[in-house]
Amino acid sequence: MKLAVISCIHGNYEALKAVLSDIEAQKADQIYCLGDLVGYGPYPNEVVNQIRSLEIPTCQGCWDEDIVEGLNACECSYPSQLAEHRGKLAHEWTNKEIRPDVREYLATLPLSLKRDNLCFVHGSPNSQHEYLLPSMDGFAALERVLSTDADVLFCGHTHVPYVRELADAKLSVTVKSPARSDAPQQFQATLKRIINAGSVGEPRHGRPNATYVLYDTDTAQVTLREVAYNYTKTCLAILEKGLPSIFAWRLARGMEFAERADDPTHVCER
Amino acid sequence: MNWAILSGIEGNLTAYEAVLQDIQDQAVTDLYILGDVVGLQGDNEAIIQRLQSPRAGELEPQVCVGWWEEQCFSLYGVSGLQDAPELMAKVGGDGVKTFWKSISRESVRWLRSQHFGFHEQDCLLIHGSTVSYADELTPDTPAIELCDRLIRADANHLFCGRSGLTFECSVTPVALRSTVTTLDGVQAPQDCGKTPRQVIGVGSVGRSPGQATYTLFSPENGQLAFRSVNYGQP
Repeated sequence: MKLAVISCIHGNYEALKAVLSDIEAQKADQIYCLGDLVGYGPYPNEVVNQIRSLEIPTCQGCWDEDIVEGLNACECSYPSQLAEHRGKLAHEWTNKEIRPDVREYLATLPLSLKRDNLCFVHGSPNSQHEYLLPSMDGFAALERVLSTDADVLFCGHTHVPYVRELADAKLSVTVKSPARSDAPQQFQATLKRIINAGSVGEPRHGRPNATYVLYDTDTAQVTLREVAYNYTKTCLAILEKGLPSIFAWRLARGMEFAERADDPTHVCER
Repeated sequence: MNWAILSGIEGNLTAYEAVLQDIQDQAVTDLYILGDVVGLQGDNEAIIQRLQSPRAGELEPQVCVGWWEEQCFSLYGVSGLQDAPELMAKVGGDGVKTFWKSISRESVRWLRSQHFGFHEQDCLLIHGSTVSYADELTPDTPAIELCDRLIRADANHLFCGRSGLTFECSVTPVALRSTVTTLDGVQAPQDCGKTPRQVIGVGSVGRSPGQATYTLFSPENGQLAFRSVNYGQP
């Protein structure tokens, strides 16, 4: 079976339409969505309508959570202070724009989805706000996959797609205590994978094209897809609807243009 | 430099006094208390006053918050979930009432001003872990979780008190092949560190009647010792 996994649409209806057309052309059997349907973009209601009408299994993203719970759902929602400042403006706009039934729908979304040996989350199994960057320590990344009891963990949130294979993991553990002194124990794990679906509506891989992934459950083959679309329509709508112009500027370039977080796997004291 | 690291006094003033007595003979330079200074059974106001006012010649204790303090904050609406559902599940309604009555609002304010944890040299000293105050690390915690907590802590030694046990788990990464592929192709492989690191349970001062445990650590040479102090009931 061929799965298409999409994430981080962020109210960009033009990008979503283009990706859905590409998914159809690729003959995918089932679509999964990793959340962040709203925020930044000009068409949050339309995006949610489309996802709902197609009955796409969807988990809740950090933006979806913040629209439901309020902006302080997590004090560390953003990777940097600059991103936080911009994000607050987008949150206020989206909060006014969104319809009550859309908010109710976002509140019903689960934090994770499972299908056989696959697990789907927005950020990480710990939190919608944690970034599983490809540079993350390999053992920490492995722990995230193992915590789900899955072999493949699909995530989004970073807006940059990647596939990470974690193979031949070995750890040695020695326990000493007043009550016991064990011989070293060996921990081993079989091949696990993290697949980041990128972003449909707010890509940050250096080009404005929408990204998503295809996954073949029979062969375990992963294909990172990049889909060109008329992003200028979205950029114009961002400006027309009074959203901060930086969102149009960066959408046209496929870049974040904010400093990186010191610790993407932040300590959340919530 | 010689650290005494305590946790889990749980209002047991007699046990704390016994440990302070034992510490006097150990050439200790720093005194850390990793949370749970209050609890359900002991005299919480008395222990808080004792911590606030060390006697002449005694070390100033450096305190971070633990599970019981977090329940306190929840009960008093200072932080966390309202009405302390974790506490309710653990001790029931009568226990919640007893705990509520045992701590003044002024003491809650003092507890709230204490630390989240301490990062000293290559050590993190904390009640649970950076995941949560409730994260209970033990010798039976899966190796990959211990490894993850050390990586998150960005420390070679993670001292924790949640379990109340004294133990040392040495975790050594042996191998991991990590390959990342992006839209631009396969990236250079990542080198995973091979440094052995330790998770250390520091014991519990007040949880077990008649016997207090705590930990001594010398950060200069990595020497670790678990102390057990027997004391009589008042």
